[in-house]
Amino acid sequence: MLHVKDLTASIGGTPILKGLDLDIGEGEVHAIMGPNGSGKSTFAHTLAGRDGYEVGGTVTLDGVDLLEMTPEQRAAAGVFIGFQYPVEIPGVNNMYFLRTALNSVRRARGETEIGARDFLAVAYEAMDLVEMKRDFLNRSVNAGFSGGEKKRNEILQMAVMQPRLAVLDETDSGLDIDALRVVASGVNALRGPDRSMIVITHYQRLLEYIKPDFVHVLVDGRIVESGDHTLALRLEDEGYADFVNHGLDDVPGRPLSGAPR
Amino acid sequence: MTTAATAALASELSPEAQLERIAAIGYPTKRDEAWRYAPHATLHQLSFGPSGAVDTDVLSEIDDQIPALDGPRIVVVNGVVDEARSDVTALPEGVDLSTPGHRVGGVADRLAVHPDSAVELAADAFVADAFVALNVAFGGDGVGIHVAPGRHLDAPIHIVMVSTSAGTHNTSCSKLAIQIDAGSSVTIVETKLGAGTEFSGGNTRTTISMGDNATLDHIVVQDVPSNQVHLSRTEVTQGAGSELRARLFNLGATYSRLQYDVHLAGEGARADLSGLYFGRGDQTLDQQINVIHAAENCTSRQAFRGVLDDESTGVFNGAIEVRPGANGTDAEQSNDNLLLSNRAEANTQPRLEILADDVACKHGATVGQLDDEAMYYLRTRGIAADEARRLLINGFADQAVHDVGIEALRTWIAQRLGHDDE
Amino acid sequence: MSETLRTIEELTEAGYEYGFSTDLDTDIAPPGLTEDTVRLISGKKNEPAWLLEWRLKAFEAWKTMAEPDWAKLEIAPIDYQALSYWAAPKKKPVLDSMDDVDPEIRDMFDKLGIPLHEQKMMSNVAIDAIVDSVSVTTTFKATLAESGVIFCSFSEAVQDHPELVREHLGSVVPFRDNYFAALNSAVFSDGSFCYIPAGVRCPMELSTYFRINSQNTGQFERTLIIADDDSHVSYLEGCTAPQRDENQLHAAVVELVAKDRAEIKYSTVQNWYPGDENGVGGIYNFVTKRGRAHTDAKISWTQVETGSAITWKYPSVILQGDRSVGEFYSVALTSKRQQADTGSKMVHIGKDTTSSIISKGISAGRGQNTYRGLVKIMRSAENARNYTQCDSLLLGSDCGAHTIPYIEVKNPTARVEHEASTSTVGEDQLYYCRQRGMSEEDAMSMIVNGFCRQVFDELPMEFAVEAQRLLSVSLEGSVG
Repeated sequence: MLHVKDLTASIGGTPILKGLDLDIGEGEVHAIMGPNGSGKSTFAHTLAGRDGYEVGGTVTLDGVDLLEMTPEQRAAAGVFIGFQYPVEIPGVNNMYFLRTALNSVRRARGETEIGARDFLAVAYEAMDLVEMKRDFLNRSVNAGFSGGEKKRNEILQMAVMQPRLAVLDETDSGLDIDALRVVASGVNALRGPDRSMIVITHYQRLLEYIKPDFVHVLVDGRIVESGDHTLALRLEDEGYADFVNHGLDDVPGRPLSGAPR
Repeated sequence: MTTAATAALASELSPEAQLERIAAIGYPTKRDEAWRYAPHATLHQLSFGPSGAVDTDVLSEIDDQIPALDGPRIVVVNGVVDEARSDVTALPEGVDLSTPGHRVGGVADRLAVHPDSAVELAADAFVADAFVALNVAFGGDGVGIHVAPGRHLDAPIHIVMVSTSAGTHNTSCSKLAIQIDAGSSVTIVETKLGAGTEFSGGNTRTTISMGDNATLDHIVVQDVPSNQVHLSRTEVTQGAGSELRARLFNLGATYSRLQYDVHLAGEGARADLSGLYFGRGDQTLDQQINVIHAAENCTSRQAFRGVLDDESTGVFNGAIEVRPGANGTDAEQSNDNLLLSNRAEANTQPRLEILADDVACKHGATVGQLDDEAMYYLRTRGIAADEARRLLINGFADQAVHDVGIEALRTWIAQRLGHDDE
Repeated sequence: MSETLRTIEELTEAGYEYGFSTDLDTDIAPPGLTEDTVRLISGKKNEPAWLLEWRLKAFEAWKTMAEPDWAKLEIAPIDYQALSYWAAPKKKPVLDSMDDVDPEIRDMFDKLGIPLHEQKMMSNVAIDAIVDSVSVTTTFKATLAESGVIFCSFSEAVQDHPELVREHLGSVVPFRDNYFAALNSAVFSDGSFCYIPAGVRCPMELSTYFRINSQNTGQFERTLIIADDDSHVSYLEGCTAPQRDENQLHAAVVELVAKDRAEIKYSTVQNWYPGDENGVGGIYNFVTKRGRAHTDAKISWTQVETGSAITWKYPSVILQGDRSVGEFYSVALTSKRQQADTGSKMVHIGKDTTSSIISKGISAGRGQNTYRGLVKIMRSAENARNYTQCDSLLLGSDCGAHTIPYIEVKNPTARVEHEASTSTVGEDQLYYCRQRGMSEEDAMSMIVNGFCRQVFDELPMEFAVEAQRLLSVSLEGSVG
């Protein structure tokens, strides 16, 4: 349902994604792994429609061209990004924010808006999924939240927004084992035949909890290798060094750590 | 104090003496730093005189505007207490109402009850500010509130000051004097409202003295209509270990001046001021905030936000002043402004005047726009750009509202701001 | 704490290193300022009629203006009629070799430790150029001439390049701008003139030293620097003065014009006599410095101020052209009874303009240090950016630091950020350094230097070294 073809992205003239190809079918979970600087977050932002990038190539979701759309239009089309560094918005409370978001998307799709009481039910269910306390609703968006709370809030929002495509950008960064467990179980509970996911991560650890159907290695702006979940285990053992120069003549090698080129 | 001295003091406080003083010191001009952005042409149209009669029909329009809070309420119209609208039956024990005693007969009465207020009264007679002098002269009896030591009051005391044009002059003066004795804690809410459509003005002054270890939550909302000018001045003196939390909202008037001076006079006192000014139309909202550290180990915080729309102008002139010997001072100040239109203006002067050395002071001020990252985040959640902007602007303003500890009041302020506080 | 205080007192009590004077045979005009004085000055300098007329207009304007009084300064009233407005040593200027230089004057510069070599050109009331050998003079002037750079005294420029002077004089600081600018415009004595032709990167840093020599003379220097399109120049200014009992007035005007894509970097290390422990003597330094930046141009002001009894200066940049950039870096030290009221003004007019202000104030003794700045974003200034940081370091309990910024924004696309902090050198910090073997003086010096690092990094290298040395001398007890 997601077709990415020859995707390029630059910032201020510096190329970061250099021709990325990826196809994702319905209900599939794809992991994208790569060394620092490979373009993982840029890929997530390019899918989300963030300003500041010069983008080329094509990205279609359910046959619709995403690259022409604004971020809110993409949300209405069913794209959800779980951010690596969720921003704090003091003064805007979580309940109001979520309800507004949900209703905006419903309006865009021509659906009826949800009323306050029904929304509370949706919110409570999502909160329980990630073990969030009830006072969450009155607090400001991510303000004063611990790292773990911020990541759980992202998954909570995913549960409320019910996307077609969820892109989780390093959802595990900064989490201890307990927080990781909660986040992962939330993500797994949201897997389904109508929903696909891209799980972006640097470490294999998250994939122990969220088992991917496919794993891709992103190095220097391109996908250099794809495989099933065993590829992740290989990366765990061998690091990224092997892939850094793999089949890419024009890319200067950047060994991860002292490994021979 | 001797009878002769009392009479002399009373004479200095008389309108005649005060008018002479004004002739000597003059009115503020554009050259005065603190009046740099004030619309002087408009101020020159203000006329003053003794508290006069009021048009009761016009007055009735404020009745639905007054927020309903639990606790005693005193309504003052053009400087005179409106008995019918006030309700002091719930006045708790240990709280006395009186007058600040500026009136001729009043001085002797006040000194009889509070002999130590002689110094205060003398200071009032010689303040070097024309508008204070006018307030002393024409503020009439005003309202005095005295809280005895060791009282903890749950319900807030609500003072509503209403100004409306009436009689031979267009500007009224109101006085409020509050004394909180040692160890007591109280919440005082002041709402400033206006009635009528004629050009008029209000000139209010509140003096607060806090004894050692007293606590005060002071919430002020200034929201008079745009056919009025509003000049307000609050002076707080804090004793050792006392704690002040002030929440100041400046929302109305064609020119609305909110001056708030805090004098940290006793060791270990703490002052926490926050506020919001929200300008629309061609209003000028002028904040003059002065926190003076005159004792050791005091802490102060100032956090003010301005949102300026249409052709409005916001002014923030906030000072942290640390006097010699005020060692161990910990002071911070921040002022953040949002401009929503091409014709709005933000002027900010965050000042530091430091004369002691063992201090930690910092301030920051910004004028700018909404956070790009926050806008992006909201849009990825499907919220269109316009609505995302509105959410963020309201969020920016609401932070000041959230600091108000009384729910009914929060809701009321949010309504006055034109949006629901969720 | 009292032990530390005593040491701080010693530190700021540096005897003024340059306190001596030379008995030159000078030609001084009688005291007083009238129209005749203006004519006298113009006549002595053989100026063209248009310049005399300009001076006279400025004088008329000055007579109608009032001295500014809003700074937090305590000034003994200046009697403008008691000062002399013209003093020139009788020995002739314009020299080609060191042998022609008045030996007393040579001596004076030797004592000041001002090195005479290829990189520096001396210009002041006494002498236009001093260099240590004829060949060096030739090389230096030749280098500049090759690139078409004009660098000479203002008086020379009036004679040799009148059209350039006439076009730009008063274009950045009109004589009506303020009281001292009007005074300066009427009676300015001399200064520097610099013109960088289009596309030229000036091959060397241009520097000049000033000296006020005679008693009761005000110094009114006028400097004009014009950088044509795509050019670049770095200019250094340094000053010293002899010890006197009467306060001496210094009211200078510096105008910078940076045309499209040009860059001017103006650095000052100022060390006027600051007055003694009781505030007697010392220079009054009132300076108007302003630059006008055209499209894609950049103007940076960097200053280290440790001298003068009273300083009143606000180097400013008018960001007129789109995408122009203004910068201000400053370290100001006040000790003994010095008073400084200084800061910067950035006026944003064009689109996408940027300004940054980094101001570090150090107060010691009974010094009063005030930062007064203005950031003004005009309605036309789309997407303006400003960042201001003012930090004060207080050494001792009798000094004061004040920060009074004005921020006026009339355009909603602007982003303005201002931060300020005040701190002191902590006992903990000093103890830590001493435990690692440093003397308290050295520790203090190191910490203060660290405080100033951001500004010192902006100075051209040789100036940075001198600035650090100057700061140490001003703070430490040792002399020389």
